[in-house]
Amino acid sequence: MIRWFKQLDGILRGDATRLSALKDGRIETPIGGLSVVTVFLGAVYGVCIGAYAVIRTGGADHDAYMQMLASALKLPLLFFLTLAVTLPSLYVFNALVGSRLSVLSVVRLLVAMLGVMLAVLASFGPIVVFFSVSTESYPFMKLLNVLVAALAGFLGLAFLLRTLHRLVLAQIVLDTQPPSSPTSAEGGEDIVDDGSTDDPAGALDQLGYGTTGKARSVFRVWVIVFSLVGAQMSWVLRPFIGKPGMEFTWFRERESNFFVDVLDSIAKLFGG
Amino acid sequence: MRTRLLGIDDLLRAQPRVVVGHTSSPRQIILLMIVFGFLYGAVMGSFGGVTGERFWQVVYSAVKVPMLLSLTFAISLPSFFVINTILGLRDDFAKSLRALVATQAALTVVLASFAPFTALWYASSADYQAALLFNTLIFGSASVTAQLLLLRLYRPLIASNPRHRVMVRLWLVIYAFVGIQMGWVLRPFIGSPNAATTFFRQEAWGNAYVEVAHIIMRVFGW
Repeated sequence: MIRWFKQLDGILRGDATRLSALKDGRIETPIGGLSVVTVFLGAVYGVCIGAYAVIRTGGADHDAYMQMLASALKLPLLFFLTLAVTLPSLYVFNALVGSRLSVLSVVRLLVAMLGVMLAVLASFGPIVVFFSVSTESYPFMKLLNVLVAALAGFLGLAFLLRTLHRLVLAQIVLDTQPPSSPTSAEGGEDIVDDGSTDDPAGALDQLGYGTTGKARSVFRVWVIVFSLVGAQMSWVLRPFIGKPGMEFTWFRERESNFFVDVLDSIAKLFGG
Repeated sequence: MRTRLLGIDDLLRAQPRVVVGHTSSPRQIILLMIVFGFLYGAVMGSFGGVTGERFWQVVYSAVKVPMLLSLTFAISLPSFFVINTILGLRDDFAKSLRALVATQAALTVVLASFAPFTALWYASSADYQAALLFNTLIFGSASVTAQLLLLRLYRPLIASNPRHRVMVRLWLVIYAFVGIQMGWVLRPFIGSPNAATTFFRQEAWGNAYVEVAHIIMRVFGW
């Protein structure tokens, strides 16, 4: 488990996505352990969200604990389902535009992205719990969670686009170099830096010159699709917080959508 | 004792060694925070008098000021840490942390230096609302002063990587967001003369931002 957290840490620090690590235009971040850690962090944040229901009912209500459990289970599900919904079309278009990114690389990249998102989300857990403890207002809690999730999503997607850019970059470097580069490179002027010490860029740093690839436009469009699907997925999987006074259910009726409800919550927050 | 006081001087002058060097250990700085926070809190809680049951308000407030700062700090830190890491600033995190902790201590030192004003105010006016307003003013100015100090302590970090500027701003946003609510939850600090002495005020439980939203709504007549 600790090893998996270290892998996640490597991704957050940008060690796993340095140019030297992407040498062959492939990304080598692990999937298995990282997914477990990601699910765990998602569950932690789910518990933080569910804390609102437990505290509002004074901890005596069985339903509130069910809500907490449901949130802990549903939160990782939200992210992985969003990925599952958007992955097939991403793969198809990625292949259509002739990107060299293999299916496995795409999956690795996306799991790493989820790792970043859920790490950020979980790190806001203490703030969410604190506000759960002290807040009665249901609209406020909804908006706070939307805000935190939006921030986590933004950072995760930024990570994805930057890493993709680096992959393209690493491939260009690979193409311009003869296979026997270590001996033929003159005076050690190797473009792919072997020592990661000279490569202090973080996970979000933009490296080198801009390249335009069709694969990148595919991913750019996909980022928008992912955000929209994720937002609506959170609506489909609701309740996460548990509206006070409503009975516990695993899922609610089909009605309305995420965006209408956010506007509604803002209005309610001001309207009392 | 003398070196400890010199530590305060270093701190207030934002000497680079506060962040880089080892002259003031974190433990020492935390001790400063507790002592000076306690000091201001005690003065703050003395509004209703210091005798009899009111003595406890002094003690409660004294405990609550360091509590307010350290809880806010602890709750805000995880997200700051993770976002720092993603932005590639992890190697500087020890320095960032030292700057943040030093700022906390400086905030209490500034507060404590204002304590005589507060005592004088209490001595000259028995108006609770005015006392509330005066303390808000004191806390506000101490916070602004501390943030200016934080920006100074951060200057070498920003020079080494401009991204630190984003982080220090983000810290201020998160810290203020949590801190305002924490101050609200931990009421009473001053102790209304009409209310009984308590550590927490039960009916004061609530959300500061929701209250503000309601006030805005009322002002605009929505």
